[in-house]
Amino acid sequence: MVFDMEFALKSLPKIIAGIPMSLLISVFAILAGLVIGFLVTLCRMYKVPVLNRLAIIYVSFIRGTPLLVQIYVIYYALPMVADWAGMKLGLPISSADLPPLAFALTAFTIYSGAYLSETIRAALSAVDPGQMEAGYSVGLTTWQTFRRIVIPQAFVVALPSIGNNFLGLIKGTSLAFTVMVIEVMSNAKIAAADGYRYMESYVDAAIVYWLLCIVFERLFAWLEKRSGRYRSKSA
Amino acid sequence: MIKLAGIKKSYDKHEVLKGIDLVVNKGEVVAILGPSGSGKTTLLRCINYLEKPGDGEISIGDFHFRCKRPHKKDVHSLRQKSAMVFQHYNLFKNKTALQNVMEGLVIAQKVPKEEAKRRSIALLEKVGLGAKLDAYPSQLSGGQQQRVGIARALALNPDVILFDEPTSALDPELVGEVLGVIRQIAKEGITMIIVTHEMSFAQEVANHVVFMDQGVIVEEGAPSELFNNPKEERTKQFLKRIRPEANV
Ligand SMILES: Nc1ncnc2c1ncn2[C@@H]1O[C@H](COP(=O)(O)OP(=O)(O)OP(=O)(O)O)[C@@H](O)[C@H]1O
Ligand SMILES: [Mg+2]
Repeated sequence: MVFDMEFALKSLPKIIAGIPMSLLISVFAILAGLVIGFLVTLCRMYKVPVLNRLAIIYVSFIRGTPLLVQIYVIYYALPMVADWAGMKLGLPISSADLPPLAFALTAFTIYSGAYLSETIRAALSAVDPGQMEAGYSVGLTTWQTFRRIVIPQAFVVALPSIGNNFLGLIKGTSLAFTVMVIEVMSNAKIAAADGYRYMESYVDAAIVYWLLCIVFERLFAWLEKRSGRYRSKSA
Repeated sequence: MIKLAGIKKSYDKHEVLKGIDLVVNKGEVVAILGPSGSGKTTLLRCINYLEKPGDGEISIGDFHFRCKRPHKKDVHSLRQKSAMVFQHYNLFKNKTALQNVMEGLVIAQKVPKEEAKRRSIALLEKVGLGAKLDAYPSQLSGGQQQRVGIARALALNPDVILFDEPTSALDPELVGEVLGVIRQIAKEGITMIIVTHEMSFAQEVANHVVFMDQGVIVEEGAPSELFNNPKEERTKQFLKRIRPEANV
């Protein structure tokens, strides 16, 4: 068996067509994950009763189980939650109207939230406590100081790790085919099955993921440089 | 006028402030001296409510603040009555010199941006940093950073500015420029409380000197009195240790 270059090139556009879906899931999961991660961090920093314990269990569970297993659990758990919410709370939802994307977005957000909470916690504790005090001393409220002083500085510290998480998510979306979401990997599988050419399709998929990662690696490097300008010695 | 009455502060069982009473008149410059660990920093931090006093009362102008079970709103008001110049400057690292000075004006005091900018630039020029408006703290020397810190405190137009060893983190050759700025604003009648180990500076700019040890005010008085004629044994010991050349 030889590598069929023509087939590889021919299927490439079809596989590329999965990029928007892969990116949609990754971008959603990183943004929603940042919000969840931040809330988890607050629960832990301020030792909120009950929530603090739940947060610890959540992070430990997600970090201690494979993403694929989490996706399967969500696949079966989410319909139950939807039906329960429909019946008990009278919300207009039921398991029948859950699109595949809902499973993927839920699973990847829960996943990235746990990892990002660790990132955020480390980044916030890297900010000098004197910054918070300076905020108070000029009359800012806690939240104003957080939003204007502490979070922007923590963000710069967290960016490299957020970037790594994002690349991990892009690659992780290749598991979304398991819940019928049509993204890069699903398209590669379809193309492979159509033409009985497996290696070609998967090499295509690999190249697509690789290029995506290179682009975003560059983007994050640029962001890091730009947002961290205030830390450099020279103007 | 600033009046502290019975200010107490403990960490666990360790009582760091054991009931401090102090009156600072408007326009007065008060220097606080004392050995390490005597509670000087803690006292300043209590006035700015960076530390929660356990007991006592703080009055600034006609604002009276009871330290026991205060309202959140009162805490915010108390903080706005004073401004702090920190030992390690604590400038906002992600903001330029100008933004550092404007921050409290625009965000806390809701001064219109243009006016805040004009006032902030004037203050930075006054402390000799008119050419560094857009520099970030990482691009400034320690002395320059501390001068921004002083401009930031001045901008708030507080009833009192609290200085915690403003020059002790500086290289010796940078101390002069910062003391120069403090000397200058002292002449303008701004009320200040300064914790310092610079004895000659304290003697020169202060109208009133307070000696603290182990959480109490041991002795206070006019600089000439306290430096040349200390009454208490602990004050004598301290002064002897800190300036062995002087004969007290
Ligand atoms: N956060 C804290 N937790 C526990 N103890 C503290 C804390 N902050 C200060 N202390 C203690 O309170 C006492 C007074 O400290 P403070 O910093 O006010 O002294 P100081 O007079 O400013 O000393 P220095 O001249 O070294 O700055 C010290 O014994 C110190 O160990
Ligand atoms: Mg101190």
